[in-house]
Amino acid sequence: MRPLTLRRLLWTCGALTAVLLACIVLALKLGAVPISVTDLVWNLGRIAIGRGDQLPTEYRLIVFDLRLPRILLGILVGAALSVSGASFQALLRNPLADPFVLGVSSGAALGSILALIVAPQIALITPLGAFLGAIATIAAVYFLGRREGQLDSTTLLLGGIISASFLSAIIMFLMTTLAGRDLRGMVFWLMGDLSTPVPAGLRWIFTAGLLVGIGAIYTTAADLNLLLTGEREAIHLGVDVTRVKLVVYVSASLLTALAVSASGAIGYVGLLVPHAIRLLFGSDYRLLIPASALGGAIAIVLADTLARTVVAPTELPVGAMTAMAGAPVFIYLLRRGIR
Amino acid sequence: MEFKSSPHAPKCIDADFSKGRLAALCAWMAVLIFLFGAAVPAQTRMAQATAEPPAAAPAAHRFTDEIGRRVDVPMDVKRIVSLAPNLTEIVFALGEGDHLAGDTDFCDYPPEATQKPRVGGPVNPNLEQIVALTPGLVLATKSINRRETVEALAHLGLPVYVTDPHSVDEMITSVERLGRILHAEKTAVPLVEDLRARLSDLDRRLAGTVPRRVLFVVWTDPLISIGRDTFIADALRRAGARSVVDTTAEWPRVSLEEIVRLQPEFVVFASAHAGDTQHDIDALRSRPGWRELDALRHGHIVVISDAINRPAPRMVDAIEQLARALHSESFVSRDRQSRRAPHVTEETCACAR
Repeated sequence: MRPLTLRRLLWTCGALTAVLLACIVLALKLGAVPISVTDLVWNLGRIAIGRGDQLPTEYRLIVFDLRLPRILLGILVGAALSVSGASFQALLRNPLADPFVLGVSSGAALGSILALIVAPQIALITPLGAFLGAIATIAAVYFLGRREGQLDSTTLLLGGIISASFLSAIIMFLMTTLAGRDLRGMVFWLMGDLSTPVPAGLRWIFTAGLLVGIGAIYTTAADLNLLLTGEREAIHLGVDVTRVKLVVYVSASLLTALAVSASGAIGYVGLLVPHAIRLLFGSDYRLLIPASALGGAIAIVLADTLARTVVAPTELPVGAMTAMAGAPVFIYLLRRGIR
Repeated sequence: MEFKSSPHAPKCIDADFSKGRLAALCAWMAVLIFLFGAAVPAQTRMAQATAEPPAAAPAAHRFTDEIGRRVDVPMDVKRIVSLAPNLTEIVFALGEGDHLAGDTDFCDYPPEATQKPRVGGPVNPNLEQIVALTPGLVLATKSINRRETVEALAHLGLPVYVTDPHSVDEMITSVERLGRILHAEKTAVPLVEDLRARLSDLDRRLAGTVPRRVLFVVWTDPLISIGRDTFIADALRRAGARSVVDTTAEWPRVSLEEIVRLQPEFVVFASAHAGDTQHDIDALRSRPGWRELDALRHGHIVVISDAINRPAPRMVDAIEQLARALHSESFVSRDRQSRRAPHVTEETCACAR
C-alpha cells in the first residue's frame, strides 16, 4: 500500500468534494419538476448578487425550500452514518459492523413511537424521541458491553444485537396493539426517509454535532489503525485503548443517533461506503474517516435523487434506494478488489 | 491519483502526518463549513422572502380546520390540490372538479379524477409536484395523510385544510364546511340537505328493527375488520347493523376462532365490482374456519359498494344499499326510494341467499 502523505489525503478529499459538488448540482436539477442547469446557474447567480426575490415563487420554493435543505440533510446523514460505520468496524474489529449493529436504530425507533404515543401534538417530537431513545440504548449497551471496567468488543457486539432484537420485538408489539394510533409515518421512518423537511434551527445542531463527532473520531484515527492489528498489540505500541474505545464508542453512537433522529434508519450506507472507500483508497483510518464522510454524503445525495425521480411523482424511501443501488456497487468493488 | 514523491518525502509517515494532521483537519472542516455556510444563509434569505406577503395578495378568509389549525384560505380558490380520494370525491360532488389542479394516485372516482395531474400517493406525496401546481388550497385528511406532509406544506406557505370525520354526520358536516370554503354553497346546501334527508328517511324506516349482527370484512387473509370508532362502524349503525367486532383499534386483525364463536348473522364485503368478490367468497366457503360460519353456510353474504370505505357523499349510497340488503322488509314501498336515490338501483346489490 502506498504510504499516506498529507498531499494524498488532501488530493483525495478534494477530488471527493468535487464529486460531491457535482452531485449537489445534479440533485438540484433533477426532480419531479425538471430544471435546466443553465437556468439553475443563472438563478444562483441572481441570488449571489442579491436579486433572489425576482425569482418565481414556485421555483424558489422547489429549489431552495425543498431540494436544497433535503440535499444538505442527506449530506449530514450520509457523512454521519459512514463515519460511524467505519468507526464501529474498527472498534468491534468486525467488517460486518454498521451504525445500527449496536441497536441504536431500534432504540431510536422505539423512542419516536413512544413520543408519538405520549405527546403526538408537540412539533418535532419524533426526532426528539428518536434521539433520546438512541441515547438510552447507547447507554444500556455500553453497560452491557463492559467487562472488568473495559469495553469488550465481543460482549459489546452481543449486547448490541440482543438489545436490537429485544427493542424490535417491543416495537412490533406496540405497532400491533396500538394500530389505532397515528403511526403511519413510522413505516417510512423505519425504512429511512428524507422527504420530511427538517427545520433550519435543527440543521445547525446537526451540523455542529456532525463536525464535533467526526473531529473527535479523527483524533483517534492513528490509534484505530493500530487497534485493528489487535488490542494487545495496540497496548504494547502505547495506545491508550480504554480511552480510544470510549471516545470512538460515544462519538460514533452520537453520530448515529443524530442521523437516525433526522431521517430514520437508512441502511447499508454505514456498511458499504467505508468498505468501498477502503477498496478505492486503502484502509488507513486517517484517510478513511474524511473520505468516508464525503463518500457517504455522495452516496446519500445520489440515492435520494434516485428515490425522488425513478417513479416520480411518487417517492421511494431513500433506504430502499441505498439497499438496491448499494449492494451491486459493493459486489462490483469486492470482485475488483479480489482480482 | 499518482503523485511523485518529492525530495522531501518523509521517511516516517506518522511524524509528517501528525504535523499535518491538524492542518488537514482544519482544511477539510473549512470546506464543509463553507459548504453549509454558503448554502444555509442563502436559503434562510429565500425563506424570508417567501414569508413576505405578495404585494397584490388576494384577500384571505381565516378558517379553523377540523384538527384545530388556523388556515388562511384565499377568497377565490382557483386551484385545489386534494391529497386523499375522499376529498377528491367531495370536490367533484361540490361541482368544483374544474378547479382541482391535482390529486393522488388513488383518486379513482369520479373517472375525471384519474385525468388530473398526480402528486403521488396520499401517504408520501411529492411536495415539489404539489408546489409546482401552484395551489391556492391543499386539502388533506387526518386519517390518511401524514402530519409531516401537512406541516411541511404549511411551512412552505401553502394553506392546508385538514378534515377529520369520524362518523357519517361528521362527513356531511365536512362537506358543508368545504362548500363554504370553496364558495360552492349553491351546490353544497342542496347536496347536504339531500344526504341528511336520505339518512333520516333510513332512520325512520329502520326505527324499531333489531340491528343485524354483522362481520365487516376489510381483508380476508389475514382477517381484518373494523373497530368501533371508525366511520365504517358508524355507517353500519346507520344501516341497521352492528359489527360483532368491538374494539378500539381502528383496523383490528381478528382471529377466525373468535368470529366462529360470535357467529355474525351476515358477512359484509365491500367491492368496486360486485362480481369480482363472488369468486373469493366461493373460495372462502370451503376453507376451514370460514366453513363453520353459519352466515356463509346460509348464504347470508352482502356485497356493497366500496364507497363505504371513503368518507364522501357516495358513502350514503352504500349505507342505503346495505340497509336494503339487511332489512328488506322495511323497504316494501319502493316508489319513494326510486325517486330519492336512483344511483342505488344502478349498483349491483348482490345479496346471495
